[in-house]
Amino acid sequence: MNRRRIIAVLMLLAFGAARLPFEQKLAVDLRAAHFHGARLDLDMREQIGQMAFLAALSGFRALVADGLFLHAYTAWENVEWGRVKLDYDAVTALQPRCELFWQTAAWQMAYNASAAAINDRKQPREALRLKAQREYFKLGEDYLLRGIANNPEKPTIYNDLGMLYREKLQDHCKAAEIYRRYMKIPGALTYGERFSVYELAQCPGHEREAYEKLVELYNRGENEHLPTLLKWISTLQDKLNIPADKRINIPPPSVPPAKP
Amino acid sequence: MSTPAISIQNLTKEYSVPFRRERVTAVKDLSLTVEPGQVYGLLGPNGSGKSTTMKIVLGLVPPTSGKTEIFGRDSVEVDSREDVGFLPENPYFYKYLTGEETLHFYGKLCGLKGAKLRDRARELLRLVGLEEAADRRLGGYSKGMLQRIGLAQAMVQEPRLLVLDEPTAGVDPAGSREIRDLILDFKKRGITVLLCSHLLGQVQEICDRIGILHRGVLIREGRLDDLISIENQTEIILENASPELLGEIQALIAKTPARVLDQRKPHTTLERYFLDVTGSQ
Amino acid sequence: MNALPNALPSATRHQYFSFARIGAIASNTLLELIRLKVFYFILIFALVMISSSFFLVKLSFQAQFQVLKDVALGAMSIFTWLLAVLSTAMLLPKDIEDRTLYTILAKPVPRFEYLLGKLLGVLLLLFVALSLMSVLFVVVLYAKQQSAIAELTAHAAPGAMSAQMSAQIQDILSQTFTWNLVPGIIFIYLKAALCASLTLLLSTFASSTIFTIMVSVVLYIIGHVQPIARDYIMHNTQGASPAMIIYLSLISLLIPDLTAFSLVDDIAAGTAISTILFVKTAGMGAVYIVVYFLVGYFVFWAKEL
Repeated sequence: MNRRRIIAVLMLLAFGAARLPFEQKLAVDLRAAHFHGARLDLDMREQIGQMAFLAALSGFRALVADGLFLHAYTAWENVEWGRVKLDYDAVTALQPRCELFWQTAAWQMAYNASAAAINDRKQPREALRLKAQREYFKLGEDYLLRGIANNPEKPTIYNDLGMLYREKLQDHCKAAEIYRRYMKIPGALTYGERFSVYELAQCPGHEREAYEKLVELYNRGENEHLPTLLKWISTLQDKLNIPADKRINIPPPSVPPAKP
Repeated sequence: MSTPAISIQNLTKEYSVPFRRERVTAVKDLSLTVEPGQVYGLLGPNGSGKSTTMKIVLGLVPPTSGKTEIFGRDSVEVDSREDVGFLPENPYFYKYLTGEETLHFYGKLCGLKGAKLRDRARELLRLVGLEEAADRRLGGYSKGMLQRIGLAQAMVQEPRLLVLDEPTAGVDPAGSREIRDLILDFKKRGITVLLCSHLLGQVQEICDRIGILHRGVLIREGRLDDLISIENQTEIILENASPELLGEIQALIAKTPARVLDQRKPHTTLERYFLDVTGSQ
Repeated sequence: MNALPNALPSATRHQYFSFARIGAIASNTLLELIRLKVFYFILIFALVMISSSFFLVKLSFQAQFQVLKDVALGAMSIFTWLLAVLSTAMLLPKDIEDRTLYTILAKPVPRFEYLLGKLLGVLLLLFVALSLMSVLFVVVLYAKQQSAIAELTAHAAPGAMSAQMSAQIQDILSQTFTWNLVPGIIFIYLKAALCASLTLLLSTFASSTIFTIMVSVVLYIIGHVQPIARDYIMHNTQGASPAMIIYLSLISLLIPDLTAFSLVDDIAAGTAISTILFVKTAGMGAVYIVVYFLVGYFVFWAKEL
């Protein structure tokens, strides 16, 4: 009987040797298909504690991420920005394929934390407050960039990043680029194309390119003749000194009648 | 000479004990034959190798050396078990199944199905007297009822051989009587029975042949009558004998070398008395 | 007493392989397991699932759905695995202790069919349990989806269905039901089935239920770090001591890579799996189940009963 058991173990070892290359190849294929991108290393263990690490290893990764997500929420309510960032770092490392986490992390940093920084009563010097605010913008940008790296096929993150560049970082060139990439993703909404051009119009050195694109959009038909588009065409026509005969005729916006 | 029901030839079984070098011998060079139609009692103290022998005959345990056969087929082969039904000691079966479902389960294991299976199950339940309890779960059966359903299960594929391990252990006198009557009935139909029991009085009543195992060795074997009758004594039981007749017989005997050892009223068995009094039968 | 015919050679012809026999043992095993308290784990799961969707109202709908899915799928994962290990671990020891094993093997039933019937019974149980859990999951998800839509439309002016609102409703709908979840659930089943087959193998080695359960649990945990050992062995072994290499090799060779089947986390987060990859992974799982069963049979064949 013992001999049987030993032979059985040998059979398992032989099976192991036979399947090892298949298993390795399968793991590589899965990773290429965006599975198993979670980072589970000793840093993570430090950060989330032993029990949570074990749980994450044992197939509860998503739940641990969710738990930390909730924890981050509570930290935000208590305005503990350091804790918030740490939690979101862990959450996105554990569940990099959930775009919600990247987007929430970015929102917390670029919108909430930055607002808290600029309004920080404890910091009398405005220059330092502005600096802190900008740092938070950058943190938001970082989250979204990493979010895109992990989820290249999901359009919503690009959209968020475009909005961040547009509104907070005021970097119109990057905004234009992001919106352009956004339009290549299946599921992107049509306004992305227009935004890409509007931002391009504000990117120094690219006004001519932007104008050409605006004209192309205009020529697609009545549907594209939105107020903002028309405004930009007329602005750029002036800025680029387009000769009158080549210009598109943009009627000035109608002034509503003055109230009696 | 017909094929023996069980043929055990030079059977030896040794077990290796963990962490020890020497091996334990459970059965040593056992040779034994059970002819068809017999009721054979395999006796012996605990640890004598009875259970081991039975398990080897049933193919549950492989022999170290030697061979066992059931109606000419080696016990190691799965199909040798078509011809044998087994009732283990203190069986549990599946408590949540009813009596009928239990027989259906075992019948399916033997290849029975459909109407044939249902009819067979009904027949067996009638045979062992469990018709009323057929729809009750085994969890609610008494010990005697469990033994009887066990017998029914053993019989489900109409085997020519039954192997019974302590069939009446723990069963009350009435139930025990019923089981023994069933065994005698099986014998009348020509079914061979191999049984193991510590209840020697009951063995004496139903077995034709016995074998006694001690420490793995068969120390006595043969027809029950031959083994236990006291050679030089005779028993005569008289009914309505008058004292004068008894006196004449005594006088006759006094003239011969024979002598009277005992003269008394014979006893009925306590069992018969008990059963008559408690009103069963 | 009734008339049974006199003893004749056996009434049935022996078949060397019989689906009917395996089926009888499998369905009997399923019945036996369903009756155990083990099946009530499912009720606990249901409670966990339903209660989880209650205390998360302060998050956005998107987050609520995410957490609901993660909790439900995580619970399905762990409970199906637990069911697999616990039911399988007690199958053989219980039959041996109750001596029912003897009554079964004393019939013309090959040991192969007995073992296969037992495993199939467990696999059926897992299928039933996981199906029930999935139905419950879908029901709760649907209820949550409906309540989300109701809340959304409650704030709108009556009659006004703006484009933005219908886009939001579309959003909600797409986040709840995706057919993507089906492969994820299939993988939960495969992983549990693999563990069942492995546990059966372990129980042929030893006779104690507790021992089998403990080893199964340990193997489950190590199975999730096996890829780390495997990576190490296959790619960078410089500087490692021979003892370390042997240790990691043993882990890589003997322990299954359970992370290959732990795909439901990523699937719930929106990662789709291609058909080819699904077939490869599922195939790997099936191979594991078959191999573990065969090795278990190899040991069981010679087991002294």
